[in-house]
Amino acid sequence: MYTADYFLMQGMSGLVLGSLYALMALGLTLIFSVLKVINFAHGEFYVIGGYISYFLLSLVAGIPPIFGVLASMVGLFFLGALVEGTLLRPIHLGQVDRPDEYAILITFGLSFLFQNLLLSVCGPFPKTPPSFLQGGWRIGVMMISYDRIIAAGIAIGIMTLMMWLVRSTWSGQALRAVSQNKDAASIVGINPLRMNTLAFAIGSALAGGSGALVAPVFSMAPDAGVVPSIRSFIIVVLGGMGSIKGAIIGGLIIGLIETLGTAVIPDPSRALAYKRVYGLIIFALVLLVRPQGLFGEEE
Amino acid sequence: MAKNTRKILFFVGLVLLGLVLPLLVRSSYWRHVLILAYFYGLLACSWSFLEGYGGQFSFGHIALATVGGYTSGLLGKYFGFSPPVSMLVGILGAGVIGFIIGVLCLRFRGAYLALFTIAFSEIVRVVITAESNITMGRMGLELSPLFAQSNKIPYYYNMFLFLVFGFAIMYLVVHSRYGLYLRSIREDQDAAEAMGVDITKYKVLAFTLTSMICGLAGVFYGHYLGILTPSFTSISTMGLVIAMAIIGGVESLVAAALGGILLEFGLEFLREVGTWRLVLFGGLLVFVVRFARNGLIAPVYHKMIGE
Repeated sequence: MYTADYFLMQGMSGLVLGSLYALMALGLTLIFSVLKVINFAHGEFYVIGGYISYFLLSLVAGIPPIFGVLASMVGLFFLGALVEGTLLRPIHLGQVDRPDEYAILITFGLSFLFQNLLLSVCGPFPKTPPSFLQGGWRIGVMMISYDRIIAAGIAIGIMTLMMWLVRSTWSGQALRAVSQNKDAASIVGINPLRMNTLAFAIGSALAGGSGALVAPVFSMAPDAGVVPSIRSFIIVVLGGMGSIKGAIIGGLIIGLIETLGTAVIPDPSRALAYKRVYGLIIFALVLLVRPQGLFGEEE
Repeated sequence: MAKNTRKILFFVGLVLLGLVLPLLVRSSYWRHVLILAYFYGLLACSWSFLEGYGGQFSFGHIALATVGGYTSGLLGKYFGFSPPVSMLVGILGAGVIGFIIGVLCLRFRGAYLALFTIAFSEIVRVVITAESNITMGRMGLELSPLFAQSNKIPYYYNMFLFLVFGFAIMYLVVHSRYGLYLRSIREDQDAAEAMGVDITKYKVLAFTLTSMICGLAGVFYGHYLGILTPSFTSISTMGLVIAMAIIGGVESLVAAALGGILLEFGLEFLREVGTWRLVLFGGLLVFVVRFARNGLIAPVYHKMIGE
């Protein structure tokens, strides 16, 4: 059973999943690096992205599925900007006591609100948008569906674009400046408040985009964001809070560990359950061995 | 009237009300709601102890209650422990898990405890579901009843006792020297450390105590309902507990407990609107965090005792 092909296929499958995980974690880490806020509603943004894609594709017949991804990213960009402008801005204007506690409470409150709102409006049953392309890539009896491969390809494309944006554009450099030193950035004429909004909007759009990309494979339900958001937390802790490189490499590592780790447990239902346990073990190991994460800076 | 006198009168009044309430509430259904309300009250109260006094976030309360309940149930099922003994072990078990998590996460600043406990609670649910040949998985683990008669009255007084007992312990801690240490950590970690407060130690102790209170609530819940299922351990239930503590008033143990009790009643009264009541609580939670950080019950309580 454990042939070279088998491990090649599992490895491929792990990298495919990993790049999707990385895209979502990238959004979380971008938000953290600029705003110093962990977005506990990230999972719900992911689900809303999936739903936007689903509703667009089922309402407008014959539209190519890629537009679902675009629409959800645009939608979540504006939702993110709205949330930041109304609920997170008070932190940076010094209007709230204990800003760290406020940030956790307000984003967790939003997560609770959105999850139940989705449940009340869309119902509990999973929704699956049409697939990008039927079929899959086969070696022997094993297969990776084209949906996964295409989703991963788009995810890698978006991440490459993000890297370029952050490195080479004025806005990207301004975002990095604010993440490194807010006061120095404002002295050279960057408005940190605008960069906060931009970072939160882009981060939300990345969560929404990954939801839309994954929806044809995993379906969307109101509570479908819980597991992906926990995974993103683990990836970001592993990679180093606020590190873009860390989120991408951490995502690939978690994808590989989950897939290869599933492959070594014979009982399939247990295997599916325990791949999540690996995440918690990695979290614990990071805290024990390297609390700043792979690419994080020491306090 | 002096502030302390009013405070004592307020507490005595609440306890007397709790003692006579089952005589006024005759329906078995509403007695059941009261029991659950006290269960949530205790959890919300312990959440406010940790966050409102210690400044530490946990998403693990429901999971720790589950650990307590399942420990007690499994010991009863496989080793024939009687409920009082297995419940005690369940409470200690939750405390040990809480201690380990605390040591792991609380050495650092930042939201590590929040992040770790949210992952932990998911794992508790997943493992209980997966190990169904031991835990009975989704079928549910049956626990032996605490009392011979199926009447709600003994369970009511038992839960009420646990609520008062848990509250009293946390109240005493908060108003002792350790309470001051905890508050100093929340206000300013650096200053607390500079003054010689061993911040990691007190954070870990506070989280361990909280975990044992969760275990206390959990073992009762399991033996009262007679069955535990993994679906109880969801982030959504945890969200409800947090909403209760925040809407009540996170900086006051009594307001948070009352928040738990009143919101559980709210859930029952609004049963007709289904999941929209959770939307309402979610909206209220966001509103309170943004515009009324002291909660909605705490200001009323402070007015009553004349603070």
